[in-house]
Amino acid sequence: MRRWRRILVLLVAWMIPGVAAAAEQPGLTSDTIKVGVFAPFTGAASLYGKISHGVEMVYLSANDAGGIHGRKFVLVREDTACDPVKGIAAVKKLIHQDKVFMLHGGNCSNVVLAIKDEISKAGIPYMVQAAASYAISTPMVRNIFHPINTTVTVGTTMVDFALSKPGVKRVAVVTHTDEWGRTNHDPTVQHLEKQYGLKPVEDVAMEKGTSDATPQLLRIRNANPDFIIAILYPADLPVFLRAAYQYGLRVPVVTTQAISIEDQATRVGIPEAVENLYVFYPFKHTIASPEMERWNAMLKRYFPADTPETISFLGTGGALGVVEIIRRAGRDLTQEGLIRHLESLSGFETGILADTLGFTSTDHQGVKRGSVVTLVKGKTVVVGSKWRDVK
Amino acid sequence: MFAQLLISGIAQGSIYAIVGLGLTVLYRATTVMNFAHGEMYMLGAFFVYVGLHGLGLPYAGAMGAAVLASVLLGFLVERITIRPLLHAPHISLVMATVALSYLFKGIARLFWGRDIFPLPPLLSVRPIHVGGVLLTSQDLLITGTVALLLVGFFGFFHATRQGKLVQAASQNLRGAALVGINIGLFFGAMWAASAALGAVAGILVAPLSLLYPEMGTRVLIRAFAAMTLGGFGNLGGAVLGGVLMGMIEHLSGGYLSTVFMDIAPFVVIIVVLLVRPVGLLGRRLAVRV
Repeated sequence: MRRWRRILVLLVAWMIPGVAAAAEQPGLTSDTIKVGVFAPFTGAASLYGKISHGVEMVYLSANDAGGIHGRKFVLVREDTACDPVKGIAAVKKLIHQDKVFMLHGGNCSNVVLAIKDEISKAGIPYMVQAAASYAISTPMVRNIFHPINTTVTVGTTMVDFALSKPGVKRVAVVTHTDEWGRTNHDPTVQHLEKQYGLKPVEDVAMEKGTSDATPQLLRIRNANPDFIIAILYPADLPVFLRAAYQYGLRVPVVTTQAISIEDQATRVGIPEAVENLYVFYPFKHTIASPEMERWNAMLKRYFPADTPETISFLGTGGALGVVEIIRRAGRDLTQEGLIRHLESLSGFETGILADTLGFTSTDHQGVKRGSVVTLVKGKTVVVGSKWRDVK
Repeated sequence: MFAQLLISGIAQGSIYAIVGLGLTVLYRATTVMNFAHGEMYMLGAFFVYVGLHGLGLPYAGAMGAAVLASVLLGFLVERITIRPLLHAPHISLVMATVALSYLFKGIARLFWGRDIFPLPPLLSVRPIHVGGVLLTSQDLLITGTVALLLVGFFGFFHATRQGKLVQAASQNLRGAALVGINIGLFFGAMWAASAALGAVAGILVAPLSLLYPEMGTRVLIRAFAAMTLGGFGNLGGAVLGGVLMGMIEHLSGGYLSTVFMDIAPFVVIIVVLLVRPVGLLGRRLAVRV
């Protein structure tokens, strides 16, 4: 009898911290973890709202597998419309009104930079979805984790890739003039100058939503570049590529991870115009490969209307990291504990990202490597390893 | 380079001209500035997409159906939203069009999601080179359509009895009603004509710009600038302003800086308001007292 009583006491003692923690922690109960998800579900950048689906599917899948340590994720969604003012309102609501345990959102750098202070003050664990500005994690904020390739990684990779091609010395850049364009453009041009001592032979701006890129094309064509770095949105790159083809500019073009190469061929409508297109690629395998089938099926299961493409999975690695850390943290979960555990995540193989995911107490940029893809006879091919070997 | 920029600027400006023409037709008749006109442009293109991929119509049939659907949309907008507000303060009418703009974008997102859709080119003709200048079939089509529309509208307003009636009715609604003109039908017809013009512009541009719910936002701002430049409420002014806007954009982008292309419409609006507030073809209204 005494033995049983001792076991009972030990069992209660073991359970109390979890119950107490759950009682004290916002958004955490004995059987739920409330996660605040925010993304541009409406507005001009609503295309990037689908990134959130690639995040949410991981949490929903974990729920369907029985949850983690008896808890299931409850997702609270807010729309930012890629607008900093709406973003601040959304985050304040999630933190103070919905009292979520952690945040997982933000696909527009302007929004994430605007909410950085608010989140820093609140101290709530925050995993960025896909906003890529290096300024999000530099300087580092203790509770903000950045699990995707930043604009510095993307920019340096694009430049390194272009300059790895034999004879390339003259690089032209075409960029959008908004915050996203600027945060991609600056590290790209800086790397070109610092690493290779080169300046863009032409550096042109292209307005979002335009239907004609003639002035940009003529300027670039006159500069006679060997390679073009295009920092453009998915709706604008086809306008540029089509114009380049029509004006006879047969120069390789490399672009950012905001572009799904699979769609470009369809959107441009001229197969020859995308023959020389290269895209920074954050994943190990191509979307159509058997290795990606697992993720494609997961997306289709929870979001049947979505067609899997590159941007669908930009935030998936971060969500997998969160699920892994909550699993490792055990039943005794706290916001502070989650931050500590995330900082101990090292070399985590997500199964989807080209790089492993990891954070330290001094570095919250979780991913620092991607590859490059191109289309060969209509099929997406990863060329990253080849050109890296060449270097 | 100059000739190429000039040609591409005229083609681009022709798009602003059609959108500006649609806005002007409505503004002249009803004095309402329609902030949802960009969405009529967008919906026109999406109607073609539905005709092609949803109903399996040939391109020409899909375009015809899209224009008809836009005409119907224009009538419905006037009947359901605008007519009940006819005697409300003018700002209420303008705000109603702002609300419609958001509503139409929301509806587009509901049906077509957040994706970007391609439309095949209207003409599958290879670009031709004339004296070192590249001419694309799409650009020629857009410019030609604007020329035809301009002739058609001028012909209608100045050479037909109905056109003169429309002009007279828009000058004095009460007088028009007294002589037996159905004002409701007149307003509905103007909204329908404006929506159809918006749709035509959207259909012409969509193969170049791709389809997405926000595709009308940028072009609407350009069209406002074009109307300001040409003279608010002047049909010829809207067309002239549009074409000039396109030329200013492309020439400044080619010779000064491509950054200037972003701010060109705003600079144009400010300069015109400072130098010649009535625009190039606008006239000061003289009121007999």
